[in-house]
Amino acid sequence: MSKYSIYFVLLALFIISWLANENFIQPNNLKNVANQISVGTILAFGQTILVISGMIDLSSGSVLALAGVLSVSTYVNTGSLLLSFVVAIIVSVTCNILNGLMITKFRTPPFIATLAMMTMARGAALLYTRGQNIYQIGDYIIFGQGSTFGIPNPIIFLIITLLVTAYLLKHTIFGRSIYAVGGNEEAANASGIDVNKTKMKAYIINGIFVGIAGIIFMSRVNGGMPNGAISYEFKALTATVIGGTSFTGGVGTAMGTLAGAFIVGFLDNIMVMVGVDSYLQQVVRGAIIALAVIYDIWAKTGKADKKLRSAE
Amino acid sequence: MKKILSMILMVIIMITMVAGCSSPSTESGGEVEGGGEDSNGNGVYRIAYIARAQADSFAAWLANAVMEESEKYDDIKVDVLDGQASDDTQNGLIENAIANKYDVIIIQPNNGEAQRPYAEKAVEAGIITITTNARIDGIEGASSVDADPYMQAKVNADLAVEQIPENANVVVLNGPPGNFHADERRKSWENEFFAKRPDVKIVGEEIANWNKDEAMNYMETWVQANDKIDAIISMNDNMAAGALEVVKDDPKFKDILAYGVDGTAEAVLLIKEGKMTSTSLQSAYDLAEALLSTSHKLLTGEEEQIDIDIDCPLITLDNVDEYIEMHKKAGAIK
Repeated sequence: MSKYSIYFVLLALFIISWLANENFIQPNNLKNVANQISVGTILAFGQTILVISGMIDLSSGSVLALAGVLSVSTYVNTGSLLLSFVVAIIVSVTCNILNGLMITKFRTPPFIATLAMMTMARGAALLYTRGQNIYQIGDYIIFGQGSTFGIPNPIIFLIITLLVTAYLLKHTIFGRSIYAVGGNEEAANASGIDVNKTKMKAYIINGIFVGIAGIIFMSRVNGGMPNGAISYEFKALTATVIGGTSFTGGVGTAMGTLAGAFIVGFLDNIMVMVGVDSYLQQVVRGAIIALAVIYDIWAKTGKADKKLRSAE
Repeated sequence: MKKILSMILMVIIMITMVAGCSSPSTESGGEVEGGGEDSNGNGVYRIAYIARAQADSFAAWLANAVMEESEKYDDIKVDVLDGQASDDTQNGLIENAIANKYDVIIIQPNNGEAQRPYAEKAVEAGIITITTNARIDGIEGASSVDADPYMQAKVNADLAVEQIPENANVVVLNGPPGNFHADERRKSWENEFFAKRPDVKIVGEEIANWNKDEAMNYMETWVQANDKIDAIISMNDNMAAGALEVVKDDPKFKDILAYGVDGTAEAVLLIKEGKMTSTSLQSAYDLAEALLSTSHKLLTGEEEQIDIDIDCPLITLDNVDEYIEMHKKAGAIK
């Protein structure tokens, strides 16, 4: 049961929100929340894969902005949605290959390597646009504001990335290598796993997700914003960690991360709905995040302690 | 061996630092007296423009405008330095600019009070000091060029007093707390609008930090929680545009009024489309023009101290075309 503790937190929050304001439960509102968390959560799936394997990406918000503005600019200049999509993915994957190279070839700690990339990518986005937003982006907004079969496109991207992440982690050799590398790198190496190759793959997948997130972000705000998505990497990490992924590596799931993202999303939503003072909101948000994680850890280790005692 | 080498390196660095710090201060006295033209020999005045943050779109627009404007002056060269939205970084840049013996230091403060002592240091060092957007008030010997944030909001609020229907529901989007322009604009709306219209109800008020995406998220929620929202009152155009993005295709909100400040390219387009109601222009070009002409007057000794405010014209559907032209010329829109 302890495995599911985070879903109880989510359920409790859902019920409390429902009682607090009747508008909360409206399908449109729930759709909004899913829309709002889409960008952060897609980044979080990338972070989940990385954190499980003992790494991190601090550059995702900045790379998102760089990939996003270049993609918007491509669309404005060529009018091709396909090309603009491809550009975003290529840019973001390239940045992440550089992250991977710094980490695997030059043995830079992931924290520092991606911190450097964070500054470089943000700088490049600002340099390219001279700090100015790109407007009049036309049909580009389809990615983030359009719908397919009645489902908003960001939610479709969210579901696809969720399924990809869950499948990769659960049902592939790559997924098992990710957990192994994060659990114990040397043991993984000894058991014949190519650690560097696994790490590089993890960054490439992260790159694809960040590129998609960049397209949705720029499309949702209807402009190419080089200063957009600042500190989104922490938004993503928050969802990842609330969702039960361990910073010590080797533990975590895609569904958990999704639950973590919804906990933050519902919380932000209900506080605005009932009109909580905007300064107080920040305090509450922080406190709830702490409580959710404490409960999750308590629910898991409580069980473990009992097991130990019964063993004695 | 490595240890000794690194020791020697450290000593060299220390010596250069000490020398670097002391030498300009010994010379600067004499040079500043002599005026910019003599000190550089080549007849070109050097201006350090210390921007709040190159990542802030208005600050970047202003920095670009200052660079463009400076090209009109043969005897002025501007260096733009990026304060990175950090008090600490910005204060360091001011110190460096003093040590570097610039003829003029223009400061666009991240937080006026935090930069005040450093601006005072610049004045003490005999360097012409100008604060802008927002000005730092009451520094003896410093000049300033700014737009008045209270007036910027007031011209919109005056219009809103007439336009917003009786017993209206409105939402308010605020800038970052503690920011001079954010606070003054909100104060202006309080005094010039809400005090005069007690019938109007605020159904939502949030800090969206000047950001479009944050404003969108709040508006999406407000639209769920309220059947009737008559007006969006925003402290800048970016947030107003974000809120409008949410309701643009919703027939329920087709008559919604929206007010901003700044006169960005996006806002003038929205006004032209009839989606946004009004904004007031905080023109980076006007600020840049005033900054350079002020610098020039102070450098040539024409005047000793100048404090000016640029105009904040109201932009509505009636006069929006002229501002669209302005942005087209700048290449921000097609």
